[in-house]
Amino acid sequence: MSRGPWARWVALLSAREAPESLALLRVLLGLCMLHAIGSVAFTGTWALIWVDASDGGYREMGDLPWLVAALGGASRAVIGGLIAAGLTAAFSLTVGLFSRLSAFALLQIGMALGDTNPHTGGSYDVLISNALWLLVLADSGASASVDARIRAMWRPSPQPVTVPAWPRYLVIGQLLTMYASTGLQKVSASWVPGGDLSALYYILQQPTWQRIDMRWAAPLFPLTQLATLGTWLFEVGAPGLLLVLWMRRTRARPGRLRALSNRLRLRDLFMVTGLAMHAGIAILMEVGPFSFVSMALYAALLHPDEARPLFDRLLRPFGRAPRGKTAQTGQD
Amino acid sequence: MTAPPSPAAPARGPWPQVRAILVLLHVIAVVLGALPAPSGGMSRSAWRDPTVQDEFDAWRGKLAALGWSMSPEAFEEGLWTLGSELMAVRSRALRPFKHYYRHAGTTQSWRMFVAPHRYPARLFIDAHEDGAWFNIFEEGAPGPDWRQAQLEQDRFRSALFRYSWPNYSRSYGQFARWVAKEVAIDYPEADAVRLRWFKYKTLSPEDAGRGLEPEGEFIYIKTLPTVRGEPRASQAAPAADPTPEAQP
Repeated sequence: MSRGPWARWVALLSAREAPESLALLRVLLGLCMLHAIGSVAFTGTWALIWVDASDGGYREMGDLPWLVAALGGASRAVIGGLIAAGLTAAFSLTVGLFSRLSAFALLQIGMALGDTNPHTGGSYDVLISNALWLLVLADSGASASVDARIRAMWRPSPQPVTVPAWPRYLVIGQLLTMYASTGLQKVSASWVPGGDLSALYYILQQPTWQRIDMRWAAPLFPLTQLATLGTWLFEVGAPGLLLVLWMRRTRARPGRLRALSNRLRLRDLFMVTGLAMHAGIAILMEVGPFSFVSMALYAALLHPDEARPLFDRLLRPFGRAPRGKTAQTGQD
Repeated sequence: MTAPPSPAAPARGPWPQVRAILVLLHVIAVVLGALPAPSGGMSRSAWRDPTVQDEFDAWRGKLAALGWSMSPEAFEEGLWTLGSELMAVRSRALRPFKHYYRHAGTTQSWRMFVAPHRYPARLFIDAHEDGAWFNIFEEGAPGPDWRQAQLEQDRFRSALFRYSWPNYSRSYGQFARWVAKEVAIDYPEADAVRLRWFKYKTLSPEDAGRGLEPEGEFIYIKTLPTVRGEPRASQAAPAADPTPEAQP
């Protein structure tokens, strides 16, 4: 008997799965945050950008975020304290200690610091805060975590661990929304098909984001044109991945398009293309944690059955896998 | 190989329905917030930049090729009107989700590299000592490296990008005062500092291949006496720069 759209929506959000994909996302995002906060802390940049001019910073901070205001303003002591708390929360998120609480604390601290001086941030702040909010909603500490060990000790259960799958779906949705939105806003005549496709070449020449002088890329101009077109198509076409994932999930059903999509492994192709794009950005440009956070979100595209071997490999040097018993649910 | 999808857990009580509504609201908030909009780009002074003007000319040319010719002024005015109306509609649509965006961190701002900056600018900082200027920082250059770890940290790169645009002049002035104070600490003999931006047109691939050097001029030159003693609180009003354009 076929169900209506609402019933199917409710059923989709009721699905449960093994926890490894969300756990992998948690670990990767925690590491990204350790790097993101640490790089500001250990270069001394924090005192320049987030402390008020009255206490050694360069800017007079206007409207302060509620947390900074509640703590007494953008002084060195307050900002320094928030950074220390942020590093602590990032570490506890990585190891999965009070996972939801750590994600929530990190979210609020990140927003407080970022909003103190919006001139010194970018879209990576937005990407981080969205991802952290979804980790607040998700049970990401159910595997590969201190939380999981504590749970196993206090409430041992013969049942395999499962977690709600919908937060992982929302992470995928967020990633695709970001791509589509940024692609649709690349309205320069040098980005869109039909133009000269020079956007990436000239972006690589912008001194603000360069790691090194990029004039050596001039003879490679045709390649940068191809990359410009590829980037634009990848971003604008990203929502199509939802259809690919659906066809993967319903692979047992008939249909030529479904069979072709699954045979061509379009999800894998999307992942390889996207990861290569972000790796290229990270190598050629200095855009902060954007590339690493984006790549971390790709963990949500992995089915728990695919994330599990990754954990096993990563945790092998530590002697045993602190995952506990988890389910094999077989859903995409 | 993965097994076929297993059936979802049976729904019990009202929670599955409530959760479905809440998740749907989240999805609506995210999608509405991510719809393309010129937030941060509605600045007449920024529109005067040659990068923006070149972009307008390119699109005017494309429209003219389709038989829709118009003057630069009419094109710009039309864009301004369209952008303003779009922003007003967007603002009304997002209003119900305002608190959700703010407190849950679900803002959607994905204006990343919407267009290459064809007339970029690089910051130079000079100190004045014994009657002569000498360079202590040049953005992106390997040589003079005063406070390079801070000034070229990725977060401050975002600020530097903004301060080469005219609509951030107030914050640029505050940064210049900070430089005057810090230079006095690191160069006790210096009596003045100078900040300036070398604005130039990026070389085309052909010109870069020929080994040409970019031509440009120094703009937004600020010269200040160094500031000695304890850091002082400025009496100026808090910064009132526009909402910044998001960068990655």
